Amino acid sequence: MAEKFKLNDHERETLIFNGRMIVAGVFIFLLISCLIAWMVYLQVYRYDYFAARSDGNRLHSQYVPPNRGLIYDRNGVLLADNRPIFNLTVVRETAQSLDISLDLLRSVINLTDDDIDQYRTRQSRRAVPHTSVPLRYQLTEEEIANIAVNQHLLPGIAVEAQLVRHYPFDASSAHAIGYVSEINKDEMSAMSVETAANYRGTHQIGKTGIEKTYEDLLHGQVGYETVEKNNRGQVMRVLDRTDPIPGRDIVLHMDAKLQVAAERALGDRRGAVVAIDPATGGVLAMVSKPGYDPNLFVTGISRAQLAELNRSGHTPLFNRAVASRVPGSTIKPFIGLAGLYNETITPETEIYDPGYFRLQGRTRPYYDWTWWVDKSGHGAIDLRRAIYQSCNTYFYQLAVNLGIEKIHDYLVTFGFGTNAAIDIPEASAGIVPSEKWKMENRGEIWYSGETPYEGIGNGIFQATTLQMAAAAAAIANHGVLRQPRMLRGTIGSDGEVTDVIFPDNAAQQQLLPSQEQIEIVRNAMVDVVNKPYDSEHRRHEGSAYPVLRESGHPLEYPMGGKSGTAQVVQFQVDSAGNRDNGEVDEQFRTHAMFIAFDASEKSRIAVAVFVENGGGGGSVAFPVAREVLDAYLVPETQNYPELSVVAENDH
Amino acid sequence: MASRSMSRSLGNDFYRLTGKRGGIRKSLCLDAPLLLSLFCLAVYGLMVLFSASGENVADVQRQAAAIVVAFIVMIGVAQFEVDFFRRGAPLMYAGGIGVLIIVLLFGSEVNGATAWLDLPGLPSFQPSELEKFLVPMMLAWYMSSRSLPPRFRDLLVCGLIIMLPAMLILMQNDTGTALMVAMSGVFAVLLAGISWRIVIFGATLVIMASPAWYIFLAQAHQKNRILTFFDPYRDPTGAGYNIIQSQIAIGSGGLQGKGWLNGAQSQLDFIPESNTDFILAVLAEEFGLLGVLILIGLYLAVLARGFYIALTAQDTFSRLLAGSIILTFFFYAFVNMAMVSGLMPVVGLPLPLVSKGGTSIVTLLIGFGILMSIHTHKRVLPR
Repeated sequence: MAEKFKLNDHERETLIFNGRMIVAGVFIFLLISCLIAWMVYLQVYRYDYFAARSDGNRLHSQYVPPNRGLIYDRNGVLLADNRPIFNLTVVRETAQSLDISLDLLRSVINLTDDDIDQYRTRQSRRAVPHTSVPLRYQLTEEEIANIAVNQHLLPGIAVEAQLVRHYPFDASSAHAIGYVSEINKDEMSAMSVETAANYRGTHQIGKTGIEKTYEDLLHGQVGYETVEKNNRGQVMRVLDRTDPIPGRDIVLHMDAKLQVAAERALGDRRGAVVAIDPATGGVLAMVSKPGYDPNLFVTGISRAQLAELNRSGHTPLFNRAVASRVPGSTIKPFIGLAGLYNETITPETEIYDPGYFRLQGRTRPYYDWTWWVDKSGHGAIDLRRAIYQSCNTYFYQLAVNLGIEKIHDYLVTFGFGTNAAIDIPEASAGIVPSEKWKMENRGEIWYSGETPYEGIGNGIFQATTLQMAAAAAAIANHGVLRQPRMLRGTIGSDGEVTDVIFPDNAAQQQLLPSQEQIEIVRNAMVDVVNKPYDSEHRRHEGSAYPVLRESGHPLEYPMGGKSGTAQVVQFQVDSAGNRDNGEVDEQFRTHAMFIAFDASEKSRIAVAVFVENGGGGGSVAFPVAREVLDAYLVPETQNYPELSVVAENDH
Repeated sequence: MASRSMSRSLGNDFYRLTGKRGGIRKSLCLDAPLLLSLFCLAVYGLMVLFSASGENVADVQRQAAAIVVAFIVMIGVAQFEVDFFRRGAPLMYAGGIGVLIIVLLFGSEVNGATAWLDLPGLPSFQPSELEKFLVPMMLAWYMSSRSLPPRFRDLLVCGLIIMLPAMLILMQNDTGTALMVAMSGVFAVLLAGISWRIVIFGATLVIMASPAWYIFLAQAHQKNRILTFFDPYRDPTGAGYNIIQSQIAIGSGGLQGKGWLNGAQSQLDFIPESNTDFILAVLAEEFGLLGVLILIGLYLAVLARGFYIALTAQDTFSRLLAGSIILTFFFYAFVNMAMVSGLMPVVGLPLPLVSKGGTSIVTLLIGFGILMSIHTHKRVLPR
């Protein structure tokens, strides 16, 4: 080909090259125009959007939880305080390979599948992104050290200090104070928008007892801070902060030492003790046994721990102090008062007790306890002796003479049948039966044969230990009922205690006989404990006196009381004719009751004791009640415990 | 008298020595406009790098040292006659291929690419960067010895010259550089006057073949990058994180920027690779649209001077070489800016003269040294 040997055509090559360079120039112009247009779009047109995104990246609102208010007893002993613990927390957005991190953590600290399950639940409930969620609570120092060593392998995982609730008295105060635990889904959805906002930084909420009742007071107001965080979630600086308002510290009427003494007095028995200050209605002690350690619940109880708690079958979580049951003979003083008020009897009214009672025109006998002893009765007996001898026949007769309606109308004014307690909402109302009540609840008419049993507290009537204590306190207080209450006052920022005044309506509604008549009943209750054997007359001693005498320790203060024995199974007593509980299966044994009070002119304490399947009220429940009164009224006795925990929590 | 003649004779000696008339600038074969724009770019880049590296003085010092070395190398390269490059092209090309093979065998791995050579006593070095001027040089040598426009058989040879280093770099797992090396060759071929029909045919072929590539050949991370380009929010904390954060940085910079050292995205480490490939995000955040326009303006100044040098070059070899080098430079800058701002899928390419990295700067300035050499070593042609 000729062309092959042609010399390069410089002119033509220059033209081609220049042409191509121009095309390239046009392309470059187009590309640069696109790029600039895109930059203008990003930086001018969408500036607001990206500026907001940038702020969203770095600025984080975080909630600062308020410190929960402390709970003190009447002497300034801490019943619930806040302690720093160290938690392992996860910020999900920063923890990229969480599963790998969890595997590593499992090898360096104690992390169970249960912990991880609980963490996932919390994670799913978390409302605010980029906030930390607890993975495990209460790391030990060794675990903290192990995590610190591996920190670089654990992105998004941190050890954070947190103040959590601590109950120094463990099981002793569990039922009265209650506990806080993690907020659950139901509680969260039940909150109003404002309340939910206030709980954004809070992990725990009061679940039972005082912690629940005074949640609003104890919680406080959440604070906020706006912080700048870097890519790894580290806070670089705090830009704005609204301090949280801590919850109010509160003071209870409770006496921590008495609470512990009451718990010890019950020993290993199941049961409840409630002690009340008659003048104020303040609850000095409220014990339910068996108890449980409320500290287990604070950071979430594991399934294994919960199973362990319930293993005994003795329902330690159940608050026996506020559960209702038949009161046995402890109801007799109030039936007596009803009789006096309604003028059905006078203090001088006597009946003849042959050892049993028969309804008019019926043959079925209602036996006195004496019948089971020696097939005899009390003979002629008045109200005072009927109380201190706990004569059934007298009260069978009185109940029948009163009729169920008058009994009902009278007893409700003593706080029975309603939860008269001001701030113990979980307390049961109990039952004060009437014809109306029976028709509504059992669909039956009232049978006259049921009325005698209401006179001795072994019928339908039910009351809680708390109600019995309050009613005993009313008698101790010369008839005037004070509604039971836990809260005494709040502590201001200056440390001064401001007493909380509750509207107290109970006393106005009370139906009271004359003051002298009340004193008859009060003194009869003093006789229950103190009236010694009468060498000339049989059955003129107080029903609890033999136990007092056997104890060998005379009382150092005037004490009144009334024992009661509630039948668990009617059959046991009626047919077998055998009141020796030692031969009966434990769960069929009678419940032992005792109500007692300081019988000084100005009474300082009233107590109700309930011992589940304990046996006889006089022999079992009376010593418990006495121990509690001793502890409170005779502090120098060894019964008033020295509390080592008090010193430990010196704040 | 004696002293005057003395000085004149000395002056004459100097002229004789350099063979040039004019000042020191001319005698050193430098091109003032190019030098000035490059210098401005380098200083601008150092400022941004100081901020992007979290005010790390050591990083900036290392980069400044690399820039000084690069400028010295550039000045050195500019001293060579164009003929040196023409005659040496095949040998240098072969040498470049040899080094690439060595890298494949003994290279060290950084960010998943085995592109680095650690020689004892020398800073680590990325030989693939050299190919962005070695390939155009080889092509210019080959095509300038033939008549233009190149014929089909010549194109096959050109294809081979391009593919050989491109494949080797691809084997190093450095797609970005391989793509740019191939592009630098394509630019040379385009400038040589390849028929538009072939260009359109080739372009169509690439477009048609890309779905097939995507389905059958693309690796998972490449597919991921493509998918992320179309929708960064499909994995906002993983694959899409870089581009989302860099767009936030750019967009939140606004017109004037947040100020030097004040970019929240940059200073709080929200931009990954903020001192290398994604440094534009830092610049755009702290200096705003104005800063971006200044950068583009500086690149355009370099580009315009490069165009002028290419257009006024005397022979085909010089033209093709100068044209390809300047287009490659522009494409580096454009691709990086487009990728960081989300106009293109992410490929690992530095922003020329701004991103941290010595090799990139040295090799870029070698290219500009060649441009200066082309501009200053013109034979006086008889008119």
